[in-house]
Amino acid sequence: MFIARSEYDRGINTFSPEGRLFQVEYSLEAIKLGSTAIGLTTADGVILGVEKRITSTLLETSSVEKVVEIDRHIGCAMSGLQADARSMIEHARVTSQSHAFNYSEPIKVESCTQAICDLALRFGESASGEEEESIMSRPFGVALLIAGHDENGPSLYHAEPSGTFYRYDAKAIGSGSEGAQAELQASYHKSLTIPEAEEMVLKTLKQVMEEKLDANNVQLASVTKDKGFRVYSDEEMKTCVSRIEGE
Amino acid sequence: MASISSFAMPSEAPTYSFAAAQSASGQPRQHGFYPYTDNGGSTLGISGDSFTILAGDTRSTSGYNINTRYAPKLFKLGGSGPNHEGSKIVLSVVGFAADGNALQERLDTIVKMYKYQHGKDISVHACAQRLSHILYNKRFFPYYVHAILGGIDEEGKGALYSYDPVGSYEREQCRAAGAAASLIMPFLDNQVNLKNQYDPNSGPGLEKVQRVPKPLDRTTVEEIVRDAFTSAVERHIEVGDGLQMMIITKDGIEEVYTPLKQD
Amino acid sequence: MPGFDFSNHNRNIALHARGVPLPKATSTGTTIVGALYNGGVVIAADTRATSGPIVADKNCEKLHYISPQIWCAGAGTAADTEFTTALISSNLELHALSTGRKPRVVTVMTMLKQHLFRYQGHIGAYLVVAGCDPTGSHLFTVHAHGSTDKLPYVTMGSGSLAAMSVFETQWKRDMTRDEAVKLCADAIQAGIFNDLGSGSNVDVCVITPEKTELMRNYITPNQREKKMRDYKFARGTTAVLNEKIITKEEISKYVVVEDVTGEQAVGEKMEVDQ
Repeated sequence: MFIARSEYDRGINTFSPEGRLFQVEYSLEAIKLGSTAIGLTTADGVILGVEKRITSTLLETSSVEKVVEIDRHIGCAMSGLQADARSMIEHARVTSQSHAFNYSEPIKVESCTQAICDLALRFGESASGEEEESIMSRPFGVALLIAGHDENGPSLYHAEPSGTFYRYDAKAIGSGSEGAQAELQASYHKSLTIPEAEEMVLKTLKQVMEEKLDANNVQLASVTKDKGFRVYSDEEMKTCVSRIEGE
Repeated sequence: MASISSFAMPSEAPTYSFAAAQSASGQPRQHGFYPYTDNGGSTLGISGDSFTILAGDTRSTSGYNINTRYAPKLFKLGGSGPNHEGSKIVLSVVGFAADGNALQERLDTIVKMYKYQHGKDISVHACAQRLSHILYNKRFFPYYVHAILGGIDEEGKGALYSYDPVGSYEREQCRAAGAAASLIMPFLDNQVNLKNQYDPNSGPGLEKVQRVPKPLDRTTVEEIVRDAFTSAVERHIEVGDGLQMMIITKDGIEEVYTPLKQD
Repeated sequence: MPGFDFSNHNRNIALHARGVPLPKATSTGTTIVGALYNGGVVIAADTRATSGPIVADKNCEKLHYISPQIWCAGAGTAADTEFTTALISSNLELHALSTGRKPRVVTVMTMLKQHLFRYQGHIGAYLVVAGCDPTGSHLFTVHAHGSTDKLPYVTMGSGSLAAMSVFETQWKRDMTRDEAVKLCADAIQAGIFNDLGSGSNVDVCVITPEKTELMRNYITPNQREKKMRDYKFARGTTAVLNEKIITKEEISKYVVVEDVTGEQAVGEKMEVDQ
């Protein structure tokens, strides 16, 4: 198997005889090494939850940033190579600002996701002077859960390094994604309230995390119509975590 | 509307693109190229409660000559096919016709691209902001036009935006632009916004109260527009030949053409 | 002092140098034409007067009287055509009185060109002179700088090219009166519709050795359209900020009534021929 691949897994834009792009497939593997992130849609907004891997007791936990704001009404959670996510988020932020500047209206969540996925494909080898010169030598090694609220209500998108994206009611990515997704599949329903969604996210994370879940090694964020994107404060995290521990 | 600058249109006298070459030989000669021409004509827009009407005459002039008796100054933006089916926004441009056409084509492409990229029709509000940027992007080599943008806003009310050549814009009830703007605008102030009109039944002298403008119905606005143009034709030599009117409602755009005097 | 007053000339030059624009004269940016025919001469004009792009007068008269059998169509600066033709008309009358002859068209043309040449083009009158005298029917053009032409058909003004295009395609020798009138009217209409400086109506003047026929508004192809709305304001629409009523009695205090009696009242007797 390894030998069969070796001929075609170096060129990043070369198809294998079976019609596969190995480097892109490997990038999807990289995400499975990342920490787990979960997104959940309710009628009132979207909840994002991520696992923070605290590798050392000396680590300042607040410096692990895995949920970030893109615009007032869009936020995103990541899993995979964090550094790659920085440039994707930067691109999404610029796109959102530019849209607001040009049209004096907030960008749609789908349009923002599309803009990120357009960037995801700009890797490979192209001749210099070509009109669309590629800017990266390899695909991104990170997946994003993009949550937002626009004129169509709350929505959640999953964007992959391959440049494809889908909209989900509930989605889990990262190392614990398989188990988490199965759990979501079983317990998700359309009439969730925000507190219920918070609990479902935390409970699902708790099941798939290796470490014991506490208020320091998880982070929640929400996007609602009124408050936009908001990362939960330490206080809020503590109350949320205590709610599921009480049961 | 203090922000709209009094950007001088090239000249009232006949103008030519090339400045006359000086005849003195041996002397250093300055050659000039003046890239703007004034093609005359006038436009006007009035917004109502549930509609917006834009109108413009169809004469194109240069100096004392008539280039054509039918050169539309009103353009539907977006929509599909050559007739812009389904369009709900109209742009009117007056001034230098070549710049007007270039501007219309750019904005039309942007409106169409917006629909492809975002999967929804652009709102007049967003389109208005975009147009302002297009104009300001050419701050030091402007599109020599006075643009008026009309449509229906997100609440279903008539929306009208007017621009100066470098992108300063404002939402208004009514606006006249172009050669006969100075003739039509005072008429509109008086008839649409009831300026200088007092309530005849109110008290004497300084106790008189201004008449309060209320949204006009469609037929009234159409009549005011027609009267504005038949009057402008009488007193401005660059206005005439035909009146193109576009009425934008929630159901789409109706186009009406009426002949005007040809002298 | 008769004649032009140049006392403000230097002041105006100084003002102009500091950017004060020159005052805008009303120009009859005009179409005027003339054509000879068998038995007489026809001249015609449009009736639009402009000031820049604004129509100053929709129905002005551009056909000027010189003498009963000599008329003049004027283009250029309205005041100049009006005063120049009036001046020449006066002088021509005096000339006719002192010579005891009927005035001739060449005389008018000569007086005009000498007057205009003296002013080196500053008097912006461009004229078509036509008429009948004992030597026949004549047609001339006179330019503001003093040059003249004698031709069987002529056009002048901003609409001259449009009008000349009609003459050059339709003019023929030995036309009848009606043919000549129609041709001139068509030439003016070409100017009215194709030149922005010309517009409104067609005035025509037909001169024969027997009589002169001035046909004011011979064709009116540009009638004003009726307005769709009524623009009558209700009484009380305009605010009256203050009101002061002066009665007839009060006014009378400003009037001094003086009774005149006796011989003074009759006044001086006028000397009357018996």
